[in-house]
Amino acid sequence: MTEAMDLPAPAAKRSRRRPVTRREVVLILSHAYIWLILIVFVLPFLALFAYSLTGPGGEYAIENFQYVMGSFSENLVWSFIVVGLTLVLDLVIALPAAHVIVRYSFPGKRLLFSALTLPLYVPGAVIGISLVLVYNFTYHLTTTVWGLVLAMVVGSFPLMLMPIVVAMRDLPIVFEEASECLGATRLTTFWRIVFPLIGPGVSAGLMLAFIIVFNEYLVTLFVHPPGITTAPLRVFNLVRTAGLLPTTAALAVTLQLISFGAVLLFFKVFGTRYLKGTYLL
Amino acid sequence: MAGEPLILPFREVAPEVRRRERSRRIRGVLLIGPAVLLVALFLYFPLVFIVQMSLTDSDSYLSPAGPVYTLANYAAMVGRYLPNVLVTLQLAALAMIVDLIFGFPFAYILVRRVRYRDVVRAFMVFPMFGALYIAFGMRFILLPGGPASPLFELLGIANTSVLYSLPSVVFAMAIFTFPFMVLNVGAALSNVDPTLEEAAACLGAKPRQTFTRVLLPLTRAGTVAGMLMVFGWSIGVFAEPLLLGSINEQKSLAWTLYQRGVVQTDYGLSTTMGVVLLIFAFVVSYLSLRYSRNALVD
Repeated sequence: MTEAMDLPAPAAKRSRRRPVTRREVVLILSHAYIWLILIVFVLPFLALFAYSLTGPGGEYAIENFQYVMGSFSENLVWSFIVVGLTLVLDLVIALPAAHVIVRYSFPGKRLLFSALTLPLYVPGAVIGISLVLVYNFTYHLTTTVWGLVLAMVVGSFPLMLMPIVVAMRDLPIVFEEASECLGATRLTTFWRIVFPLIGPGVSAGLMLAFIIVFNEYLVTLFVHPPGITTAPLRVFNLVRTAGLLPTTAALAVTLQLISFGAVLLFFKVFGTRYLKGTYLL
Repeated sequence: MAGEPLILPFREVAPEVRRRERSRRIRGVLLIGPAVLLVALFLYFPLVFIVQMSLTDSDSYLSPAGPVYTLANYAAMVGRYLPNVLVTLQLAALAMIVDLIFGFPFAYILVRRVRYRDVVRAFMVFPMFGALYIAFGMRFILLPGGPASPLFELLGIANTSVLYSLPSVVFAMAIFTFPFMVLNVGAALSNVDPTLEEAAACLGAKPRQTFTRVLLPLTRAGTVAGMLMVFGWSIGVFAEPLLLGSINEQKSLAWTLYQRGVVQTDYGLSTTMGVVLLIFAFVVSYLSLRYSRNALVD
């Protein structure tokens, strides 16, 4: 891996005369390799983007995106409703849970944390089939949007929990102690002291949960109530049944751009510190 | 049980301390309660439910005569549906190998040479948006008349022989899971002091020797964790075989599970496939977490 740390002396002497040393070639090749992989990463997106701008005769057309605002707007609205409700529930559940995990010590804490983050490791299809059967036979949640929302919450809640736990662990307990000594109630301490200080962690959780839930099609495919089709599920259905259409590509591109916008906004405001231990470096 | 050690100045405060201790404990239970309730009701109970259902025959769970308990579904998994299990494992294993081959050098260069890491992170976000978009995009690229068709003409091979094939499925899966590999290997590599490599080189080791004798042993835990994580995520593969694969790749367990369960209402068989997937995912994730030494709690 470490190319050419020291070459045999004669070779080094010869290479001194050339403008480009072997080391530089290796360096250029390494960067080229990085960029090649990165281009492969975005290639499916770029191809869809180009396709979404193609009209019926192969000419440039922006009309496809009017479908996104038109006949797909219902799907987008459902997506945002589901994401919004999911994020609120995620936050309400994860904040107190993270507090207990960081500030309390009790036997079996590690096990409990693993049990809470386990949904991350269950394949989507398994979550889907188990929830759809339980909704049908036991919970009777198949016809409301809440069934879908709760399925999203259980899948995305660990993503919210982990960055908040990281942020709370980094927060020295002295702030909370000082606040309580000065007479603040626990709730005041939380809202005025702790919450602002763990803000970046909370935002990281919100961002991760947003991009996962917003693009989730698999669990949705199993548990979506009749009449409710989120935008990614619509993409899936259209690709499966209608073949490839520029309008479908336009919807997929829109969803990815919205997700990417959320990520970029987060990077810009908070950086990447609080994403440690989650998906991103 | 207390979080922080309490220093008791006087014996007399003990009852008060005990009372506070108890209310703190109750508060803790109340605070973590919703989270525990959520996973209990919407993860653990459903999982127990499908394990129970996987032991019943077809859709007999619904019949008024009561469920018919049988092991036939599990027999079918090692009999008639063994090819499905094997294809799923094969796809996951191949994606893992592809990620390892391309991911290790990528992580190495990223950690040691690259200063524009935020740009790389921004690019690496794209696969996270979901396998669906990757599969959709690749399907468009590979379709006859798509952007890649001039290349296929040049090489003299038919588009469909690449589009509906194992390599394209594995390739899409590898793109989707690549960040997990880079994340784990990168974390392991950034803990390796670069001077160790320099020392190895100074002592006369060839680059290949430095790699096999220094780098690889020092990053083994991270590499194995990354491989296992990729494998675990690939095991539930759904969209890629459907959009890019041939009949053979479409035998993947998650897709078969959907068809048997939701389309044909054979709940017994479908839940059995779910349980098999679950077991694979759990074993792999458990090993992966053991290797990566989850440092969030302790």
